[in-house]
Formats: sequence, structure tokens, C-alpha cells
Amino acid sequence: MSMTLRNHDNEDRMAGSQSLRHFLNTHKAPISLVLSMLVLFMIFAFLNPRFASVQNLQNVLFQISVPLIIVVGTTMVIQMGSIDLSVQGVMGASGMAWILLSPNSRIAMDTAFWAWPVAIGIGTFLGLMSGVVYAKLRVPSFVVSLGTWYVGLGIAIMLYGNDLLPSLTDKGLARWPTRLTLGLPNSFWLAAAVVLAGVLVANYTRLGRGLLAIGNNEAVARSTGIPVTRYKIVAFVIAGTLSGIAGILATMQLGSGSPDIGYGQLFTVIPAAVIGGTALSGGEGGVMRSALGVVLLIVLNNGLVLAGVDPDYQQAVFGSILIVTIVAVAWPQRGRLKVAK
Amino acid sequence: MHYLSKSLGATTSLGRRGAIAALMSSALVAGLGSQAFAETIAKEDMVMVVSVINTTNPYMISNIEGAKALSAALDIPLEIVNSDNSSQTGISNIMAILASGKKPIMFVNTVASSDAPTIVNAVEQAGGYVTIWWNKPDDFKPQDEGDHFVAFQKIPGISSGRCGAQAIGDALGGKGNVVMLPGVQDSTTSQTRVAGFKAEMAEKYPGITILEERPSNWDPQLGARNAQDLIVKYGSDINGVWSADDGMQIGAMQSFENAGMLDSVKFASDGLYPTTIDDIKSGRGNNAIVGETFHRGYMASAVGLYTAYLAATGAIVPSELPPEKRDSLFALSCVNPGNIAEYLQYDEPDAPAKFVERLLVSGPWATEPMPLVGGGPEVMP
Repeated sequence: MSMTLRNHDNEDRMAGSQSLRHFLNTHKAPISLVLSMLVLFMIFAFLNPRFASVQNLQNVLFQISVPLIIVVGTTMVIQMGSIDLSVQGVMGASGMAWILLSPNSRIAMDTAFWAWPVAIGIGTFLGLMSGVVYAKLRVPSFVVSLGTWYVGLGIAIMLYGNDLLPSLTDKGLARWPTRLTLGLPNSFWLAAAVVLAGVLVANYTRLGRGLLAIGNNEAVARSTGIPVTRYKIVAFVIAGTLSGIAGILATMQLGSGSPDIGYGQLFTVIPAAVIGGTALSGGEGGVMRSALGVVLLIVLNNGLVLAGVDPDYQQAVFGSILIVTIVAVAWPQRGRLKVAK
Repeated sequence: MHYLSKSLGATTSLGRRGAIAALMSSALVAGLGSQAFAETIAKEDMVMVVSVINTTNPYMISNIEGAKALSAALDIPLEIVNSDNSSQTGISNIMAILASGKKPIMFVNTVASSDAPTIVNAVEQAGGYVTIWWNKPDDFKPQDEGDHFVAFQKIPGISSGRCGAQAIGDALGGKGNVVMLPGVQDSTTSQTRVAGFKAEMAEKYPGITILEERPSNWDPQLGARNAQDLIVKYGSDINGVWSADDGMQIGAMQSFENAGMLDSVKFASDGLYPTTIDDIKSGRGNNAIVGETFHRGYMASAVGLYTAYLAATGAIVPSELPPEKRDSLFALSCVNPGNIAEYLQYDEPDAPAKFVERLLVSGPWATEPMPLVGGGPEVMP
């Protein structure tokens, strides 16, 4: 009897662990990443209790919103085995266009209504340009998007000209990103909505599944009837549009326009996607995982400042903790990992 | 100097032979000897080159404006080199211009100190003349490199830091806590400004504590982010914020405004950007900005190029100049809400042209508001 019970228990436990594993596999929940982040949070909170304060939570959510919006597009492009380097240029072009059409210190024009569609449209157009050249003319995405980066930056510099630095004169617009709704900053709500939409598209649409299939094996994807060329273009259009929105949000957050508004973002979002488990070779990963990667990178920086790490050592400490975290994240999967390149 | 400038100005209407004759006579009158004549370059063989770190920073744009104004006044064609924040890009673009065959009269705002020797060597081989601004290795001196490296010029960073410290120290009545936002950590410009700020605080305002410094890479966004983190960390304990340039200050002020703290914190920085002028004039945030420093990119490039031009024409022989005219420090003005009106004239649209007019009369070392004040390298306090 006791034997039978024990067996039954074991079976239950096995079934339980299998179903948990099944759940993790199907939802691609990066449990090890979440655990590593929790450990990190606890250490930072121990070093400085203000780390865990509501004020800092709002601060971090404010800071992650711009890269969160970008990383959704970045992930989609990387999932299909391509890369989008144009982020910073597109952000500059859209951000400059938006501020110059909004109430600003340089031009007194009431064109605020057009600011949004025009600025986002520039992002969409630049994304479309990358996508068409990449998918139709079969130029490597690395090169095309690098070119688009400079086209975007060029547009931004032309708009910037030699005139005054434009700053927002409408205080309502400038404060919108920090204003709280249900206790959280508006900029985060915007980012969360984009991430949610990204997750839905990735998991529940043909496009989302198609992008992964293209990343796994383009020839097979094509033979199964997936409209590969169209999907590739759409992915770049989404990425460009989101970079445009991110450029606008970053401009609002700063309260001033600058062609360099996207400075450094590329080196947040691409590592974030990879840390989250999106393979640069395509076919793996997900929007949610990349979003967690962004949170990790931003929190790490914020935690080091609050912990009072000397600026002379901060970069080195940042890099070291990052390596340890990534090793911890990848540890459970080390058996299944392909050759690391 | 005055006489020389006039005679040089007169050469514009003469032919090549006439120009050389005029230059020779002016050189002889000035007692500069035969070496000067041997190295003289005729004006039509010259090309003026302004090399900047990027074309998005207002300071760099101003560098270009100054070069344009001098190029127009001297009637020498101008080439603009955009380094795009990369030493490699800057150097290869400069090489391309040097290969064109014309004799370059150059102003280089180096991306990194280590760029200076490579650029100087290349210019020397091309037979041109170069003045370098802001960054070079301390032990790489024009005096040791011959006449083609005409001068190294800069505005002393230590004075800039001291200006900021005085402004914040006085505004806080000598008591309180400040945070600092330096620029790129290994940049000499940032390091000297930081050293000046700390020294002034330590010497004159012992009641003020520096809570923390967070290098923000001259980047407004990073300045804003670091300011947010510091607000969380220290809250209302922060009474003053010093930034190594206005770009970072613009970001930091936005963060303090978002946190509802702008009215209770005082700011000081370097650069007096147009946005900063507007903020001072409008009294934004209960007169949040208490101190600034004034210097303009167009003045730097015009002075640098004109010094190189004088060497190219033989009007000056660099090796015969006193050390402070080879490794030079130029005046920096401390600006506060009380005296800002005096400086607005230098931002009028015709200000670069007017400055160049005065420069051609007074020479590179005595033009207000940026006369020579001493020799480098700067000694850290």
C-alpha cells in the first residue's frame, strides 16, 4: 500500500514537473533570467533600501520605456535572422520632426496635430525603405540598416540645421511621460502597451510564427507557403515605426530635440534581446524575454548608482555582473545549447 | 601686429607675385628674417580646413561658423571635416584633403588627445599649418614639433570649474550638498573642469559637501538618467548640481523639474547654450541657473585658423614665438544672471563676422572677449 502510494506520489510529481516543463517550454518563460534578476534586486535593495522604494520603481519604469518600445521591433527582426541597426538614426529623424512640428522654442507654428503622423510616418517610411531593399534587392540587413541609420541621422541633422536647440514650450507635453496614471508613469504605460501588442503579434498571429519560421529555415518557410518577402518587409516597417515612436518619447522625456536623441540605444536593445535568449542567428526568442533583458540592463545601471559604486569602477563592475548573470541564465540550458558563436 | 594684419589684408587685391612681394616686405619690416620667406605659401595655394568632432553639437556648429567667417574675410576656400565622433573617420578625412595638393591652413578640434601627433605629422608632410584645439597629449608640445604645428590652444578647464563652484557656493550661502555630472571621464576637458570645481569648493566653501559625481559622457539623456538616479538616492538633500557642460545640464534640469525639485536646487555649468540663456532670462525654476561660463566655438576656430594662417604667410615664425603663444590658454568669462546682458551681443547672427573683423585688427592673442591669458599645459590644482 505504502509502496503504491509512493509510486503514485512519484508519478504525480513527475507529471507535475513535466507539465511545468511543458508550460515553460510552450511559453518560453525565462525562469532562470527572472531568478537571476530577483537575486540582483535583493542585493541592490540590501545595499541601499531606497532601491526598493516606490520612487525608484517609478524612476526605473520611466527609464526603461524608450528601450522597451524599441526592443519589440528589434526582436522581431532578429527572430527572422536579420538585424536592424537603424534605430538611432530613425529616432533622431522622428524626434526632430516631431519637436519642430510641436510647440517649440524655435518655430512658433501651430502644427501640433500633424506632429504625430508625420514623425511616426518618417519612422515607418525608413523601416519600409530598409525592408524593401533588404527583402526585394536581397542586400544583407546589416548593411541596409546601417545605411538607413545614416539616412535618418542625415534627416535629423538637416532638420536641426545651425539654429537654436529646439525645446518644448508646451509644459503639458513635456511632463506627460512622467505624469502618473494608476501610480505608474505614462511613458511606461505606452511602452507596456507596445510590448503587449508585440507579445500578441508574436504568439498569436501568422506573422509572429512566420518570422520565427523564416529565422529557423527560410527555404522551408517559403515552401510551406509563408509569404517570406512580405513578412520581412513588415518586420522592418514595424521596427522603423517603433523606433519613430521611441524617438518621440525620448524627445518628450528630455524636453528638447537633438539628432543624437537615440544615442546608445542600439547597444542597449541588441544585448537585451540576446540576454533574453533571442539568438542572433534567428528562429529563437521572444518579445517578453527581450523586454526582461532591457529591465535587467537598466536596473543594473540604476542599482550600481544607488549602491554608490565609484564611477571609476562602474563600467567594469557592470560588465562583470552582466557576465555572471548571463552565465547563471544560460546554465540550465547549457546541455541544449548549440555551439556558441 | 596691427601693421602686419593690414599689409596681409592688402594682399587680397594683388596678383601672386605682388602678394609674395608684399608678404616679403611685411616680413622684413617685422624683422622676421629669411626663414619666414622660405616657408611662405601664396594665398591661392591655400585651403582652409576646419575639422570638428561632429556636426550636431552646438559648439561644433559654432566652430564651423567661425571658420566660414574667416574664410570669407580672407577669401580662402574652406573645407569642413566631420569626424563623426570617430578619430579614424576624422584622420582619414583629413588625409583625403591633404592629398588634394593644396596647402592646408587647419583648425582641428581633436576627437581624442592621441589623434594630435598623427594629424600634425600628416600636415607637416603636406606642407600645411595646423592649430589644434582642446585635446592633445601633455608631452606633445608644438615647441618640439617645428613650425607646422603652429599652436595648441584651449580655454582653461580649471577656470570653468572654479566659475561654477563660485556660483553654486555663493547661491547656497556656503552651505549644502551638491552632485556633479562630469563629461566623458577620460577627457582632459572634463577632468580639468572637475578639478577646478573641486578645488574651489575645498578652498572657499568648506561648508559644501560633494555628495557624488556621475560621469555623463556629454550626453543630455545620460545626464537626465543619472540625475534621476541621484534624486532617488539623495532626494531633497541635493541643493546644487554642477554639470561639465550645458548639454548634460539641460537633461539634469528636466529630471529635477519632473521630480518637482527644480525650484529648490541651484545649477551651474559651462557653455551658455541658447536654451540656457533663455532659462536664465526667464528665471526658470525660481532662477535655478546661477552660474555659467562664456566662450564660443566660432571664436576658437577663427583664432586657431588665423594663427595658422599667419604662420603660413610668414607673418609669424612659430619657433620664434614665446611659449605661451605656442601652448596657449585663452580667457574664459564667468557669467551669472547679473551680467548675462553683456554677452548676448556675441550670439547675434553677425557676431562671427564682427569677431573676425576685430581679430584681423588685434591679432589672435588680443581679441576681446577671448584674449590670451597664459601658457599651458594647465596645472591641476
